[in-house]
Amino acid sequence: MLRRFVSNAADSLREKDAPFNAFVSFENSLNLTNNGKGPLNEYSIGIKDNICTSGLPTTCASAMLQDFRSPFDATVVKLLKKAGAQISGKTNCDEFGMGSLNIHSLHGPVINPFRVDSRRAAGGSSGGSSAAVAAGLCDAALGTDTGGSIRLPASYCGVVGLKPSYGLVSRYGVVSYADSLDTVGVLAQDVERVEKVFECINKRDCNDPTSVDERLREKANLLATKSIQRWSGESLKGLRIGIPQEYFPSELTSSSYHILASIRHLLSQLRSLGASIVPVSLPSTAYALSAYYVIASAEGSSCLSRYDGIQYGLRVPPSHESNFTSTSRTYSPSRSQGFGREVRKRILLGTYALSADAFDNYFLQAQRVRKMVRDDFDDVFSIPNVLYSKLSFEEKDANDHGEDGVDILIHPSAIRTAPRLDDVLDVSCDRDTLQDYVQDVLTVPASLSGLPAMSVPMQPGTASSSSPSFASSQSSDTDAGLNQPRDNQQSDENWPIGVSIVGQWGTDELVLKVGRVIERLSRR
Amino acid sequence: MSRWLVDGWQVVIGIETHVQIKSSQKLFSRALTSALNHPPNTRYNAFDAAFPGTLPRLNRKCLDLALRAALALDCSVNQRSSFDRKHYFYSDQPAGYQITQHYSPFAVNGRFTSANIGFPIRIKQIQLEQDTAKSITDTRTRTALIDLNRAGTGLLEIVTEPDFRTSEQAAEYVRSLQELLRALGVSDGNMEAGSLRCDVNVSINRPGEPPGTRCEVKNINSVKFMVAAIEYEIRRQQSILETPGPTQRVSQETRRFDPDSWRTIKMRSKEDAPDYRYMPDPNLGVLVLSEKHIEAVRRTMPPLPASTRLRLLRTYSSSGVTENNIDVLMNLDAVRDITYDGATDSTIGAVAYFELCAEGRIPKSVMNWIIHNFLGQLSALGKPFSSEYITVAQMGQLLDLIITKQMTRPSAKLLLKQMLVSPSDLAVKQLAENMDLLSLADEHSKRLSGDDDSLRDVCKRSIEALPAEIAAIRAGKEKAINKVIGWIMRQTKGKADVDRAKDILKELLHQ
Repeated sequence: MLRRFVSNAADSLREKDAPFNAFVSFENSLNLTNNGKGPLNEYSIGIKDNICTSGLPTTCASAMLQDFRSPFDATVVKLLKKAGAQISGKTNCDEFGMGSLNIHSLHGPVINPFRVDSRRAAGGSSGGSSAAVAAGLCDAALGTDTGGSIRLPASYCGVVGLKPSYGLVSRYGVVSYADSLDTVGVLAQDVERVEKVFECINKRDCNDPTSVDERLREKANLLATKSIQRWSGESLKGLRIGIPQEYFPSELTSSSYHILASIRHLLSQLRSLGASIVPVSLPSTAYALSAYYVIASAEGSSCLSRYDGIQYGLRVPPSHESNFTSTSRTYSPSRSQGFGREVRKRILLGTYALSADAFDNYFLQAQRVRKMVRDDFDDVFSIPNVLYSKLSFEEKDANDHGEDGVDILIHPSAIRTAPRLDDVLDVSCDRDTLQDYVQDVLTVPASLSGLPAMSVPMQPGTASSSSPSFASSQSSDTDAGLNQPRDNQQSDENWPIGVSIVGQWGTDELVLKVGRVIERLSRR
Repeated sequence: MSRWLVDGWQVVIGIETHVQIKSSQKLFSRALTSALNHPPNTRYNAFDAAFPGTLPRLNRKCLDLALRAALALDCSVNQRSSFDRKHYFYSDQPAGYQITQHYSPFAVNGRFTSANIGFPIRIKQIQLEQDTAKSITDTRTRTALIDLNRAGTGLLEIVTEPDFRTSEQAAEYVRSLQELLRALGVSDGNMEAGSLRCDVNVSINRPGEPPGTRCEVKNINSVKFMVAAIEYEIRRQQSILETPGPTQRVSQETRRFDPDSWRTIKMRSKEDAPDYRYMPDPNLGVLVLSEKHIEAVRRTMPPLPASTRLRLLRTYSSSGVTENNIDVLMNLDAVRDITYDGATDSTIGAVAYFELCAEGRIPKSVMNWIIHNFLGQLSALGKPFSSEYITVAQMGQLLDLIITKQMTRPSAKLLLKQMLVSPSDLAVKQLAENMDLLSLADEHSKRLSGDDDSLRDVCKRSIEALPAEIAAIRAGKEKAINKVIGWIMRQTKGKADVDRAKDILKELLHQ
């Protein structure tokens, strides 16, 4: 009886999902783990298809794993089930998480649910998770974020996306793309739901060697709480918000003026609530994107070398003429056909970056940049980094860093709104695919530093919204919604855009708290 | 150093040893380690098969065993070290990379000393790494079979500096290293079973000139083969360098030893060497070893063979125990099964058995009894040494019966055999009584507390029975008495006290 009910639910979800292509498989069985007593009892949750589930296939949107079924549930999936959540299915993504638009998928591109008929990208790589919550197909979804893969689609689809601090959420059972960057996070329509799901998966796991121990979690959490206590209440007096000047690149100021307008409007609202807006500089930001692609590709080439078609996954037998004495020739047909274009490209890039000739100039250099980027953040935050800080916290307090440091950083989540699928699916040589990588420019620094970062939808701004008037911004919103045609070139400004809140390592609670404030402001 | 030159060439040898760590679980997974007799693909888990989503988890037991080896080899242990991925595609490597310690091994700058080499061998580094799976390729059917049982087992790679000058030194090193690792409980060190493998680097040069180009012979699995491989390499390189005409060079190569042709065979040249694309493993991070932990491992280390030998000599040689005796016992201990994870063995070895038995007794006679009778009978029965057959307490009782002359040695031997063949929980004296093996002298003293008439009777009868031998004794041939004693022992079923019988006999003859 129950089974039939669930099976019907799966069918109905499949039907509802048809216009978006957000899901790639649907759960037919009911989670009976918790007798309806868990904190996520009422929740249906989508799981990105690069997170292992024993019940459903885990394809990573790759032909390589199209029939792969994991023998175990990822730790995060176990935790969700234990909390009473109902897994609704597996969500679409870019192959192995490599992509920013969810167009590199075995299952086809995800359609942004904001307006289906205008066929725009959902963003990636967690595009399916993002679209699923935007379309109301599930209450929340798990995604993974390696360089922006949760925050970017959250921004494009108009939902909330949290990439927690690296090391808080277990990666056991998460198919590796780049081990040092991959982070499991949550997407939902509001901060409250994100927080509720995050609380259930924010657990130390001894199966993940990068899972941070309790002592450091508590230490960082204590610092976050101390900061929240200074300003929480109706007023934001005491909250210091840093605006990194490097996060407003030419791409943003020239073509996406509406994004600038939105963020200006938001900042003036925050200021009027009593927050201090502090311009800060993160000088190494310019090098972050290059360093990110070197490190992610290098680790990706390593992590993906296990797909040889021998133990599991797609196997394409070599032709009879081929030379059997060389193992790599036995593997290459499977790897050439099993991996998509983008994945092959990154494996080649990464293989080169790790080769003896290139290692120092690429991989090691990128590691140095990574440290500079991290140091930049540590320099501007008033809260010390409990993972790396040489100073004891008392000393840091004594240094009075709190006076000129900031509690959190705010910047636009992306340099643009969701692009049209027709434009980005254009495989002709004319298309500048480098543009796909540039989309990550604002999200990769937090990834390189393992910092908590959350994208929250902003109220669409207009050119005139530099005036903080509540009435005028509301009317402009209404105008935009009702009168402007959405399918022409100018309609970009009506598409969702997120604002990112970035905190010091382990201060996820602070990021969520500020996220709630911004969410409240944007909904007025 | 000139004494080591070969036809005027100086030989330079370095050795890399791969040692399988004797841990119950693998280095980064909780799968059980395997033995050769386990059916293929029965000892692995999702991590060993490189399933997506699996992550490594360092087995601290492997680390502690590795630390024992590092401390015994006098290495300086790095408090911070790290793991790296070595990438290559091969069917015995499911993940496409091996986790090893390339950039920052956990132990460096050690030294190995052996009386038989005469100078210390420098240990360059010791690193932890994963063993591979096993693949068996059949070129005829163009198939390869893969057995994951071994995949991910913990390995120690022990790398020496090129300090050896002869193949004998190299052989001595490997044999002593085996003994050392076994005594520490680090590894079986069994070359035949593959738990210890060697790569040797060999080059030759004229004294005073810079070192020659080295060739590496990989994966040698016996000391005999290693010696042969080194000798072959010396001759091969010598013949290249001594070829008349324009200066010839040895090219840098990786070779293997072929036990059928007793030669080394080229595998690949330096140009074909793969680029392993070493990358720090992003999952395992920094391996931190606190000074406190290192000290704790040092404190609980089993004694090294050399120090055990020295201690035994100091303690027992004054009572007549020989170096040879000690070596017999130590060699027995050297081949004992190694426990997993460095656990303390619940049974005791030959050295400990001897020491416990010798407590409060004369060490020399205990040693002789153990070596000549106990071990002798064990080997006659085809059994290996074990302290389990006859407990220390039982052996002590048996020895005490001999010492207090309640039982003769021949009777005791008989009883020992009986105890080995059909073990019993009864007290040893009870067993002796049951078998009617207690001495005549003893029974008599209980009964009469006077002269030992029955033994005297037997002696009198011997004089009548063996006139020729008696005449010989009377003529001064002392040795002839043994024959008479032998007759007496047969008559008494071995129960007669030899010394007492001799005394009575002499007394009767001099009357």
